[in-house]
This record gives sequence, structure tokens and C-alpha cells, in this order.
Amino acid sequence: MPQYTLNIAHLYGDLMNTYGDYGNIIALRYYAEQIDVTVKTTVISLDNTFKSADFDFVLFGGGQDYEQTIVAKDLKSKAAELQHYIENDGTLLAICGGFQLLGSHMIMADGQRVDGIGALDLYTINMHDSQVKVAKDARLTGNIVIKNNQTGEVYHGFENHQGRTFIGDQELALGTVISGNGNNGMDNHEGIIHRNVFGSYFHGPILTRNGNLAKRILATSLSQKYPDINWEDNLKQLPTESF
Amino acid sequence: MGFKTTVAKLTAKSSYWLLHDILKRGGTSLPGKLAVKIDPTILKHIQQDFDLIVVTGTNGKTLTTALITRVLRAGDYDVITNPSGSNMIQGITGTLVTSKFKKNNGKRPIAVLEVDEANVALVASAIQPKMFVLTNIFRDQLDRYGEIYTTYDKIVSGIKYAPDAKVLANGDSPIFTRGDFKNPRIYFGFDHIQPQDYQSLTAPNNTDGILSPTDNSVLNYDFITYANLGKYRSHTDHFARPKLQYAVTSVDKLTPKYSEFTIDDTSLRIEIGGLYNIYNALSAFAVGREFNIAPEQIKSAFESNAQIFGRQEAINVDGKDVTIVLIKNPVGTNTVIDMMLTEPEPFSLMTLLNANYADGIDTSWIWDAEFEKLHTTKITAVATGGERYKDIQVRLKMAGFKDQAVYQDLNQIVTAIQKMPTKKVYIAATYTAMLQLRQQLSAAGYIKGGF
Ligand SMILES: [Zn+2]
Repeated sequence: MPQYTLNIAHLYGDLMNTYGDYGNIIALRYYAEQIDVTVKTTVISLDNTFKSADFDFVLFGGGQDYEQTIVAKDLKSKAAELQHYIENDGTLLAICGGFQLLGSHMIMADGQRVDGIGALDLYTINMHDSQVKVAKDARLTGNIVIKNNQTGEVYHGFENHQGRTFIGDQELALGTVISGNGNNGMDNHEGIIHRNVFGSYFHGPILTRNGNLAKRILATSLSQKYPDINWEDNLKQLPTESF
Repeated sequence: MGFKTTVAKLTAKSSYWLLHDILKRGGTSLPGKLAVKIDPTILKHIQQDFDLIVVTGTNGKTLTTALITRVLRAGDYDVITNPSGSNMIQGITGTLVTSKFKKNNGKRPIAVLEVDEANVALVASAIQPKMFVLTNIFRDQLDRYGEIYTTYDKIVSGIKYAPDAKVLANGDSPIFTRGDFKNPRIYFGFDHIQPQDYQSLTAPNNTDGILSPTDNSVLNYDFITYANLGKYRSHTDHFARPKLQYAVTSVDKLTPKYSEFTIDDTSLRIEIGGLYNIYNALSAFAVGREFNIAPEQIKSAFESNAQIFGRQEAINVDGKDVTIVLIKNPVGTNTVIDMMLTEPEPFSLMTLLNANYADGIDTSWIWDAEFEKLHTTKITAVATGGERYKDIQVRLKMAGFKDQAVYQDLNQIVTAIQKMPTKKVYIAATYTAMLQLRQQLSAAGYIKGGF
């Protein structure tokens, strides 16, 4: 009987879950179960209250533009608690639309401006913006490979986004683009690392194809909750899926 | 008709004749391409001495088109239709310029065309359809078309070219209540659950299009047939599923090979498994009734010729009973898995994944399909393969299928089938993987002709 539990909040899991983002939870569960950790997932959607103390990991996936504008409105009611979670070193993975909504604002494909929660120093413009010098008016779609800026690990995935994201000078990108486009196709940045928050445009999904990152996120989440156990060592024993 | 159009028509006809009668190759795409090249407006010059029915949507277009064609023919209409896969503007042009109506019985002939969602406006702007049949809209190949609302907007822009056309739509799909067009709308759907058995459900988390158009709240369902289809309502206002003109009133038997059900007062049987295929039959039934074809005639159209359901084809490989199914998006794959739940025999499953353009170059959709559900079927062995064998292998491993035979190379496919431990074998393959598979099976003599 597993004695450890990882409580996952799937933020707007019913509305922001395109391109297989849920697979990130499947991957975490896959590794967790092998080290006797039970994973419990709760969808926190419109009208639900997000309580940071209830969760050890948060997944915030991408969605369609329409759903994203509805989510952005609702997110205002959860912004303070989410900010609190992040600044207390809570572990969070934000993909695509979720990544964009952690920033200050975004311009949707149709020009509509949507406010994010401003937890991270980043903003997003659309593919039609005059600043866009690479693939203007086109989506950035295709296979992508990056090198993690902290660990040097190489990650594989698939990106599919029209928005172009720019991170602030003080923020660290998740990785440097080896092939593909990344945040905006211009500055070689892909995603963001901010405390224990990982943002990315990777579908694929990122944790299913990049077991090193899955293990790292799992160890980070569990160490917050059970600090006396060496989770990294426990996870090191397991074979890593990486392709 | 101008000189250019005449030349275009003649070219298309003679190239069709060359391909079809001399080289014995089917195909309307090349003649269509040639015709469009010589006269880009050729569709506009086609004599409109027929009524046009456009069938569009994400899943089920091909079978729905074939069923409608059969139903109308049973009602003594002269019908032309496009071959499966020729659903873009060239293929459609090719079909229309090379087909001839034969009957002269006083009834207006009908063209029933399967039309790709993004090509509806191109077709409808040239030839005013009499009717649109909308099957469903799910997330599909997003790398090509974008989001479900964008896809629907494209269809709506086509509908607007024909304001008098009837729109026959799947009432169980909330998206079809949207769209600012004035056309008469006729809905079909399921009403097989009695009110005392209604539940309060929300759609599974991996489905799209679950927001009420009135207040953007998450829809509740009295029942769900699959994905986001069912009897929905808003929990905050009066928005609810529209009244159904044609309904499946009971589902009598579901098996992988056939289904029995009742539409209004007619009990029917189709020689193909899967609840989703009942929707295709339902829409064909609705079209038939709109053209005043008697329910009994529709019934015999469904039941007289099983060949029409050729999509799920059964092949005998040295005593193994092999069924090939096409998978291309999460909802389609989930419905295939649901069908496997009705399989009474122990079976093996081989899943083949490619990621070429025709398959969709993004493989992330496999994570939205509920392979975990396979644990509740009679599955005994799992094999994976295809050009993206690694993706599908890891997907099924993380779904709890640790022991898998993995085939990187489809050249071994016949051996792979022979090695499966059960008599019953399912092969689920993406489009180009299916073509490669058929080629192998054809070369080994298990299927005739190939593609
Ligand atoms: Zn994306």
C-alpha cells in the first residue's frame, strides 16, 4: 500500500486540454507509481476554488482561443492564490495557453487583448504583429528540439502555436532552441523556468517524451511535501523514457 | 458556357476516360485538377440540372455519404456521388464533370457529395446546395485546420451561399446550435434513455466544445452517447438541446460486427459495429425521410447490401480473423475502443502510428485517446508499430501494457499477425500506416488488388 500521495490540480482540465496535455499527468503517474506514490488528480475549473495548500503539483494546459478567453476571465478569481502557490515554491507546469496566461497579457489571433495573472515576467503578441520577423502571419508548427539551460538535457517535442512570447531579461528560458522555433522564433528561447514553475510551448506531451524532466518535476513536487526522503535517488533507479 | 469551360470539360472527360477505361484506374482528382487548371470557374458553369447534398464534418463523412446514396437510390432517385477520399475541390470537380445522369423518370437527379470542411464554401459558392448534412465536429489534425470553432465557421460561410438550403445537423453536438445563418435547421440525435434514468453529467475532460453559447458555462448532460454528444443543457439558463426531428429511440444490440436499433418506429440493423456508426445511419435516415422515402425502403437500403460498410474490413490471415480500423483523432480512437468493449471473444490489438501529412504530423493526440479503457475489454495481447512506433509504444506502456511486441518495420507485418496469440486480431492504424499495411497484405496475397 503506497504511503505517499501526490495531489495534482489540473487547472481548467476540462477547457484547457488540447493536444494531449493530459499526457503529462499520465507520465507523472507512471513514474510515481513505480516508487509507491499514489497520484490524485482534481480538475479545478470555472467556479471552483483553487486552494494552494491542497496541491503538490499544478498542470495548466493549452486550449482553443475561445475557451482561453473564458478561462482568462475566471482566472482573475484564482490569481492571488496561484501567485501565492508560485512564490512559495509550488511546482507548476504550464503549456502553451497556460504558459501565456501566467504572463502579463496576450494578444489573441483576432487582435483581442487578454490579461494574464502577471505571475511571471512575460507577454505574448500575435503572429500578425509588426515585431514578428519570423513566419509572420503563420503558426509555428513542427518538431522542436531544445537544450535545457540548467541541466544541459536535450528535450524533444512538437510545437503548435500562433502567439509569440517574450520573457523578461531577468527570467531564464527553459531551454535554448536547437531546431524549431520556441517562444517566438527569433531569440532562441523556449519556455521559462521561474522558481519551480516550468513554462513551455512543447506538446508531445513534454513529460511523456522527456523522462528526465518528468522525474525532475516529480522529485521537486515530492520534496516540498516529504523533505526527508531523497526522491531524486529513488527516481534515478527507474528507466527513463526519452525519444 | 464559354470556350474555356468547354475545353476544360472535354479535357477532364477525356483524361477520365483515359484513366478509367484504358488504364483501368479509378480516380477523379486528376481530371478535376486539369479542368480547374484550364477553367478555374468551371464548377460555376456546370449545368445545374440536379440537386446537391453536401455532407461534411470531422468523422463519418464517407459512410454517411454512401448510406445517403443508397437510401436515395432505393427511393428511385438517380444519384451520383464522389469516391471516398475525393472530397477536396479537385476531386469534386472531377466527379461532377465526368458523371452522367441516366434516369429520366421525372425526379430531379441528386449529387451527394462528401466535402472536406475547408472546401464547403468553395463548392457552395459555385453550386447552390439543396441540403447540408453536418455529422459532427471534433478536434482533428489541428496542424492543418486550427480549432473546432474555426472549422465550423468555414462550414457556416459555405451555408450562407445557399440561404434556402435545409441544414440537417447532429442535434447532440452543441456546436451545431451556433452559427448566424437563417436556413431551416433540422436536428437528429439520440433519445434512447428514459427520463427516469437521466443523470447529471459533464463531458469527459478530453473533449472540446462543452461551453454553453448563451452564458459560457460548462454544459450538463442528462446522458452522453460519446465524447461531447448527448442531451445537454445549461445549468444556469434555458439553453438546451434543440427538439429532435429524427431520433434513435432505442439501442437494441451493439456488437463489433453489427448494430440493431430503432429510429422512431422503425427497427433497423447495420452491418458495422460502433455506436458512432448509428449516427451515420440516423443522418441517412433523416435525409431519406426529407426526400419522402418510406421508412421500410430505407430499412431495405441499409440491410440489402453489407458491402457498403467496407471500412472495417475483415481479412483472413492463415486462420486469424483480422479486422482493420482507421484511427486519426482522439474521439475516433475512443469510439473504436468503445466498439472493442462489445467484442465477446478474446482478442489481440496491434496499433500502427505514422505521422506523415495525411496522418497529421503531430502525434500528441494519442495521449487524449483513452487506451487505459482497453483494460476492461477482453484484450490479451498488444503489439505496436509504424514509423512512430516509439510514441505509441510508450503511450501503451504508460497505459499499463508492459508486454508489447514492437514492430519498427511493417515488412514483418504478416509474421506479426501470425504471432498474435488469439484468433481474433484488431489492427488500428493511421492513414498512411493503413496503406502500407494493405500493401503488405496484398503482396502476400491476403487481400486482392490492394489500393
Ligand atoms: Zn500549443
